[in-house]
Amino acid sequence: MSAVFLGVRHHSPACARLVERTIEELRPAHVLVEGPADMNARLDELLLGHELPVAVFSHYRDGQRAATSWAPLCDYSPEWIALRAGRAAGAEVRFIDLPAWHPAFAERTNRYADAEVRYAEATERLCRHFAVDSSDALWDRLFEVEPDNGLAARLDAYFALVRGDAEADSGDRAREAYMAAWVRAAVAAAGEGPVLVVTGGFHQPALRVLASSGGDRGSDAHGWALGADGWPEVPAPPEEAQAGSFLVPYSFRQLDAFAGYQSGMPSPAYYQQVWEAGPRAAADALLRVVVERLRARKFPVSTADLIAARSLAEGLTALRGHPRPARIDVLDGLAGALITDDLDRPLPWTTRGTLTTGTHPAVVEMVAACSGDRVGRLHPATPAPPLVHDVAAQLGRLGLDGGGGSSYRLDLTDAADLERSRVLHRLRVLGIPGHGRTAGPEHGIDPVFTERWEPRPSQGREAALVEAGAYGASLAEAAAAALTERTQGVAAGADALAEVLFDAVLCGVGTLSEQLLTELVARTGELKAVGPLGDVLATTLGLWRHDRVFGVARGPLLAAVIDGATERLLWLLEGARGGPGVDLPRLRAVVAVRNAVLHAQELLAVSRPTVAGIALRISRDADAPIDLRGAAFGMHRALGGSPGASGDPAAAVRSVAAAGADALGDWLAGLFALARDEVTGEAEGGGDRSGAESLVDVLDSVVCALPDHDFLSGLPALRQAFAFFPPRERERIAGQLLRRRGVRGSSRTLLRTTADPLVIARAGALERNVSRLLSRYGLGAAP
Amino acid sequence: MTAQTPDGVSGPSVQRPPAEVRYAAELDTLRAGDGDPRPPGWQLSLRAARRFIIGDTDAGISRKFVGNPSLVDRALVTLATNRGLMLVGEPGTAKSLLSELIAAAVSGDSTLTVQGGAATTEDQIKYGWNYALLVAEGPSARSLVPAPMLRGMAEGRLVRFEEITRCPLEVQDSLLSLLSERVVAIPELTGPDGMVFARQGFNVIATANTRDRGVNEMSAALKRRFNFETVFPIPDLDTELALVEAEVSTLLRRSGVEPPPDRDVLEVLVGTFRELRAGAGAGGSDGSGGSGTGSDRPSAVMSTAEAVSVAHAVGVRGWFLRGEPGSAADVVACLAGTAAKDSPEDLARLRRYLEQHVPRRRGPQWQALYDARHLLAD
Repeated sequence: MSAVFLGVRHHSPACARLVERTIEELRPAHVLVEGPADMNARLDELLLGHELPVAVFSHYRDGQRAATSWAPLCDYSPEWIALRAGRAAGAEVRFIDLPAWHPAFAERTNRYADAEVRYAEATERLCRHFAVDSSDALWDRLFEVEPDNGLAARLDAYFALVRGDAEADSGDRAREAYMAAWVRAAVAAAGEGPVLVVTGGFHQPALRVLASSGGDRGSDAHGWALGADGWPEVPAPPEEAQAGSFLVPYSFRQLDAFAGYQSGMPSPAYYQQVWEAGPRAAADALLRVVVERLRARKFPVSTADLIAARSLAEGLTALRGHPRPARIDVLDGLAGALITDDLDRPLPWTTRGTLTTGTHPAVVEMVAACSGDRVGRLHPATPAPPLVHDVAAQLGRLGLDGGGGSSYRLDLTDAADLERSRVLHRLRVLGIPGHGRTAGPEHGIDPVFTERWEPRPSQGREAALVEAGAYGASLAEAAAAALTERTQGVAAGADALAEVLFDAVLCGVGTLSEQLLTELVARTGELKAVGPLGDVLATTLGLWRHDRVFGVARGPLLAAVIDGATERLLWLLEGARGGPGVDLPRLRAVVAVRNAVLHAQELLAVSRPTVAGIALRISRDADAPIDLRGAAFGMHRALGGSPGASGDPAAAVRSVAAAGADALGDWLAGLFALARDEVTGEAEGGGDRSGAESLVDVLDSVVCALPDHDFLSGLPALRQAFAFFPPRERERIAGQLLRRRGVRGSSRTLLRTTADPLVIARAGALERNVSRLLSRYGLGAAP
Repeated sequence: MTAQTPDGVSGPSVQRPPAEVRYAAELDTLRAGDGDPRPPGWQLSLRAARRFIIGDTDAGISRKFVGNPSLVDRALVTLATNRGLMLVGEPGTAKSLLSELIAAAVSGDSTLTVQGGAATTEDQIKYGWNYALLVAEGPSARSLVPAPMLRGMAEGRLVRFEEITRCPLEVQDSLLSLLSERVVAIPELTGPDGMVFARQGFNVIATANTRDRGVNEMSAALKRRFNFETVFPIPDLDTELALVEAEVSTLLRRSGVEPPPDRDVLEVLVGTFRELRAGAGAGGSDGSGGSGTGSDRPSAVMSTAEAVSVAHAVGVRGWFLRGEPGSAADVVACLAGTAAKDSPEDLARLRRYLEQHVPRRRGPQWQALYDARHLLAD
């Protein structure tokens, strides 16, 4: 008897029903399911009676690569039904796919992703033919809302078309060959009994062919050795590698969060309803939940809107020829009736992907309602995920397991204490209760090197650890994954970003997670405020260059952020507009960019001449804020842009001074913030060059020529500008001024008055008053 | 079909005949084979109207609107209910084309159009008078000059209201009673002529662009009577590129330019438009350009239609100045006029884009674009 192949879409209620029905009718002797074969000995664990969704979590680490992946199961997963119903019908149930650590799964984090997404050509053609937006809409239309009769035949036709002539990649080919070996073994073992094979529909046409060809007992035509019992051997991971699979609790939110190639069927809460009560009831429930959520958020939804949404949804159902309302009918109806604005982002259900910032709030609620917040729970008898053991081992090794009552004082410059601190921080970012930090460094340049951790109530610690087990097998991995998730969640803001970044530094997870890096850089690219972004860059650069404590100096985490932030800042700075005045945070940002170019050039994608060119353009841009122009002028100098290009600072000063003393002060503030050495030092060294006038000389003559009133109004700005010089340099400048006037004396006295400036000002006013009186009565003029 | 077409529009001298004339044959085919139920007053069923717009290659119906099919679904269903349809979006996203196509499909006539503007008055929406007749005969049905809304109501057709947000608010609000009560009272006339009731098939498609004066100022009462649909720029590069290439080739032939546009140059041009549109600099250096934010977007319109017109200018420039297809340098020269218009901000943004983002792109044409950046006039 040959095998019966059921090609399914993972997480499809229609397919789950089909599997259930087929098992009932066929009463198979063997049920083979796409799933990690290394779990076969532990299938009982899966059937302990968990609250779904749960996931088989697999981790792998060797010298070259580390990978984690999930095989999520929910109530309406066809694989889950095959497992449960197969057992109930007395069949032998087996997982037949390669273990998750196998190289065939490299780059895959979701075993039950839609394989056809990777071979999109056929689905695109079908979408065009049926005039629908996305393959999800296509699937609903063809399978979920249609009555069940003939479903198997339609699925076969669909997947035959989707697979078509597509050449599967080597990973998929290896998996298919392996699964086929199991099918052949099962057919041989079953004798006359039927064999049911439940796999992703994309693999099914290939499996059908492979299973009927080649392969005899003992050695398989495709190279998979058969064990003594006649079943294919489960490949074992290389000896030096760590690998394993465990059950972890999962959530609808996590299930819905996969994007792109990793994504499966979206909107788990909606499909849970479809599974439990059918599409019509699910549509009603969705409408109700969305309206409740919106009203809870004070978003006005009137009865008229509700009627409109309902009638639109029904109209769309009819127009699209759906016998029962589909997910997008309801969502489209709601969107049409409730949104009375122009949208910034397309409706998310028209494409595959996660929500982007700027999505209309009503749409966000709609997607959230579809996604649901159900969280799975494991049966208490389930073996704990590896994270639990890892944490226990680490705490024991580091002497941190002194019970809930002990507090710790850690010296971060001590290697062992630093490791302890990292473990505690990792537990903190995973949200595991037990300890809280009461003192320690608050940011990257906080010169505090001790931390104090105090005990906190630790109820729910075990449950939290099990839950966090879904993030990774080891504490470090899990913390990195949790931080990545937090990065994805934050609205673009420098504060939140800096916080994640510093947490990553504290946890020491930077090198572990490629994904965290990508996310951080992407978020950096979305920031809009120059000042905070400049602070992020300055801090990051400081840590990258000088860190001796956290061990992140010259590390890839910070390098990626430095490049991203520099690029973004250059873009923002060249577009900056604004009025007069000195924007110190912005000047600090320019300084940070200069430092990045000077000290971390090897990390940057932009070259030094390019940055110098940008600086030159800003310095000449009449619309740019004047302090920024000064700063850009300075940056151009500091980066060694040819002085001929930017012009002589003295000439520049003269032209700026023409715009008033205020502007001059602001411009100088920018210049001095960036390049006070370059501009003043060079003039001093070049004193013997007869033609070149020193900047100080020019300034002196410009300032002396100012009318009193202009001088007074420009004074604050000028003072601010010279505040960028440390006292010693100011003293040098003062000395230069004295020499210019041929006066000998201590330049220091020029810098600091002994009296209160207000008193001096009053004295000055009094003196002027007296001399005016004297001259009025003809008594003056005698100096 | 021609019975409903205003005379003169089908002659060869017409620059751009309305959709119902351009696609008369397709409409006839659809009407003949239309077995689905039609909403009262409609010339086609919803499904046939949908096929008319989205296209159906098997039946020889061309694809006329490149965009999400679900948008067309929602638009058509909205029109079959008692709410009006409001198409909003950036300029140049084919809102007017869509409304023309829908009107042609649903009513067989897309010419009942009110063009909104600062000077639009209620007369141009509902009705005015023939003053010679009014003075001679007094108010009568004969001296009444019906405007598109009144005609649409009396004849049961779709009325298009273009750029509705450019009208003064009080003029916009004159639509309120018309949309909810579906009747216009003409107080000057007595008897049955004094009330014009909307016949089945009447509805309004309004368009508004998000640049001039957004829909925010529109009164809540009026907003409530419309379902809003945002029309987005074409989401994927290949589709947009194909569309631009097709349109430009036609335009260039018409302008007497012999060589077809260089596809690589077009790709650079369309890529530039897409990045600027998405807000270049916002993590868009990989070309996806998806994460742009409002403040980075240029104030000039970077629509597909603008891309076509720049590509046209590029081709013309290359051919008539040098006798060859347009090059990346021509793109830079022509971009200044489009992407920057009269805004120095936009010009600066464009320069910034050329200086900072283009060098990161790979390919000879991108390189050429970068090398030609000095052509951007100061």
